[in-house]
Amino acid sequence: MDLVVPDLGEVEEVTLLRWLKGEGEEVEVGEAVAEVEADKAVFVIESPAAGFLRGRKSPGVKVKPGEAIAQILPE
Amino acid sequence: MRKALVLRLGRVPYGPVLSLQRELHSLRRSGRVPDLLLSLEHEPVITLGRAAHEEDLVLPPEEIRQMGAEIFSVERGGQATYHGPGQLVLYPILNLKELGIGLREYVGRLEEVMIRAAGAFGVRLVRRPGYPGAWHARGKVGFIGVCVRGWVTLHGLALNVDVNPNGFQWIVPCGLPGLPVVSLSELLGRPLSVSEVEPVALRSFSEVFGLELLELSGKEVKAWLSQIG
Repeated sequence: MDLVVPDLGEVEEVTLLRWLKGEGEEVEVGEAVAEVEADKAVFVIESPAAGFLRGRKSPGVKVKPGEAIAQILPE
Repeated sequence: MRKALVLRLGRVPYGPVLSLQRELHSLRRSGRVPDLLLSLEHEPVITLGRAAHEEDLVLPPEEIRQMGAEIFSVERGGQATYHGPGQLVLYPILNLKELGIGLREYVGRLEEVMIRAAGAFGVRLVRRPGYPGAWHARGKVGFIGVCVRGWVTLHGLALNVDVNPNGFQWIVPCGLPGLPVVSLSELLGRPLSVSEVEPVALRSFSEVFGLELLELSGKEVKAWLSQIG
């Protein structure tokens, strides 16, 4: 399952600030995994599923709402 | 009209209010409390938002602490800022989903609260595209740094009413070297206190967010906090 930046309302682009969970680390549903920022506002992204965090994009990249920043895989 | 509770905390150190915000944020997320607004002044403190860099502290941390300010790294957006006596701070703990407000709209409304409050005293503040806050030709007057988790907000805004500007010299405010920072009192050319501005800013907040504010007395605040505590 993709870990996606949600629709934040009129926000075209956010900066991926940092990961709160490591590559390959196990995450629970609703666990905070990443922080993105737009216009002095940090938005905390929570995992939509339990699983393992894979393919994390690098902090500092610009991402659009709807775009995946990693995947949550069953193993 | 939707209702929100206002907790006026007076002058308080940063740490306990940070813990309180985080606790109230989690209670708001689980729906155990309504929308809330904390209104206060801080004891001198430097806070570093998530976009802050080490070099945003101009002086070594020990020297800043020796001058009586605490330093905290926190989960809000933005870089380094200073809070201290003479600055009105509002920390809304709102469920943006329920209010139908997006992230950008939220920041815009916080700006509007400060612009309206200053306007009531005859000071015209404006927005600067790309630089969230409330601005005057002579410098930045109002600051914003927020965090949203589970669509519930924490942190908020700070409006310079009559703040000692020295604190801003210990840092690169907002990551902008040489940024001039001013207070409403300087712009008005007369003394102005947080106690004068607070009720006006609360009224602006109520208008801008369409929330009826119910103020808890000091006694009620204590009783309420111990109940949920």
